[in-house]
Amino acid sequence: MAAPNRSHYQSTPQVDLENNDEDIHDLIDPDDADLNSFDDPLAPSSSTSRPLPQGSITSASQTATALSSRWGLSGEDRAAPLNTIDEPVSATLLRDLSAIWSKLKEVLYPKYLFGGSMSSISDVRNLRLAQAREEIVGLASRAMDADSLLSNNHMSSGLRDWDLWGPLVFCLLLSTLLSLKSREQQREVVFSGVFAMVWVGMGVVTVQIRLLGGNISFAQSVCIIGYTLFPLVIAALLSAVSLIWIARIPVYLVLVGWSLAAGVSILGGSGVVKNRVGLAVYPLAVFYLGLGCLCFIS
Amino acid sequence: MEQPQPAPGSLSWRLSSHPITLLTFLGFRVSSLLVYLFGLLFTDNLVMIFIITILLLAADFYYLKNIAGRRLVGLRWWNEVDPSTGDSHWVFESSEPGSKVINATDSRFFWIAIYAQPLFWIALAVVAVFSFKFIWLPLVAIALVLTITNSLAFSRCDKFSQASNIAGSAFNGGNLAGSIASNMVGRFFTR
Repeated sequence: MAAPNRSHYQSTPQVDLENNDEDIHDLIDPDDADLNSFDDPLAPSSSTSRPLPQGSITSASQTATALSSRWGLSGEDRAAPLNTIDEPVSATLLRDLSAIWSKLKEVLYPKYLFGGSMSSISDVRNLRLAQAREEIVGLASRAMDADSLLSNNHMSSGLRDWDLWGPLVFCLLLSTLLSLKSREQQREVVFSGVFAMVWVGMGVVTVQIRLLGGNISFAQSVCIIGYTLFPLVIAALLSAVSLIWIARIPVYLVLVGWSLAAGVSILGGSGVVKNRVGLAVYPLAVFYLGLGCLCFIS
Repeated sequence: MEQPQPAPGSLSWRLSSHPITLLTFLGFRVSSLLVYLFGLLFTDNLVMIFIITILLLAADFYYLKNIAGRRLVGLRWWNEVDPSTGDSHWVFESSEPGSKVINATDSRFFWIAIYAQPLFWIALAVVAVFSFKFIWLPLVAIALVLTITNSLAFSRCDKFSQASNIAGSAFNGGNLAGSIASNMVGRFFTR
């Protein structure tokens, strides 16, 4: 389901970039351009967020749905001229729940692990094998590969509308699970310590990415990093049920790697200056590793 | 059904046209404060109080933003990010002029609740600072951020919807084309 639209996302801008060099200059928007007048080659679906030629409301929304079906995107385009004021409460809840689920799915299924640059479904298997080999090579090659990932700068729809449910819930779960096993009088300190560490960590990582020239907003980055805490919540859960320590090492390493892969695969396309991807990924890795170590010693 | 009438617009939930929405809304608003203030009377577990308060605050934020706002006063806002630049902009949506009658009681409850809540939390922040209970400060900070965001966004949204209502009626007397135009303007009002 997710594979075909990914290929749409990636194949289109790639062709543009390679074919003619002067197109690259078109990517630089004039300073006085209106936000809505940008022609954005990187995100085809964002064309729906421009003010549509105004006729009647029905034709406008039809255009939006036609566009979204052409790109095979599931989910709702918030910018489409739909009237959400009078919808029933259940529709609101359902839409937001499905938005949360789709974001979680991107974490459960890091594109990057399964080949961030795959162009067709038949390639998946080969790339997965190749990727598995790279996993063994380790973190260094992963950062290198993030470089190539960046070059075909893809944006997931999850990047566009953010919410803070994921960070909130996972942060609370993480701190609660970690404080469960601590001593009675330390429980509050552990809880507040982990809670603060997660939020401060997210802030630091985000500032780092922004300073390196990433074009991601603060809330977006916090949202994504929050959702990628999910594997670490599993690690904390394993700690809470007192997994034997020797088994923790491989399991937690895999979980931390999973978090990192998800984080890199989603944040990878955030437009960090090309040769500094490693620098942008590094604090993220430290963040996940630190939390992993906390889970390990608790 | 009605009792010997309170004046229209007075703060009685019986006059509301969405009593369930209104009561749930007020319930969420008040309960986070109550849990924060009086939770420790019932349990010694700080962590439990912390979690419950945060979850109530989040639920309140969500309910106000997505449900209560549009049902009670016909306003809605959200924040959108332009994926190419990372700039975020606010999108305000208001019900089409004339299509929805806003109940005076509902809107009074709504605006009082929306502006009173941050004031309460500011007071609690001051109390927490001066009684040296710094462990509560993160919670109070989160509460302040959430409630103030909502207050600011809704007040902007309200200002804008009034402006676009005037614009819409100026266009052509509130027929379909006019209301669409004002809606479109409303959608792309950026900060």
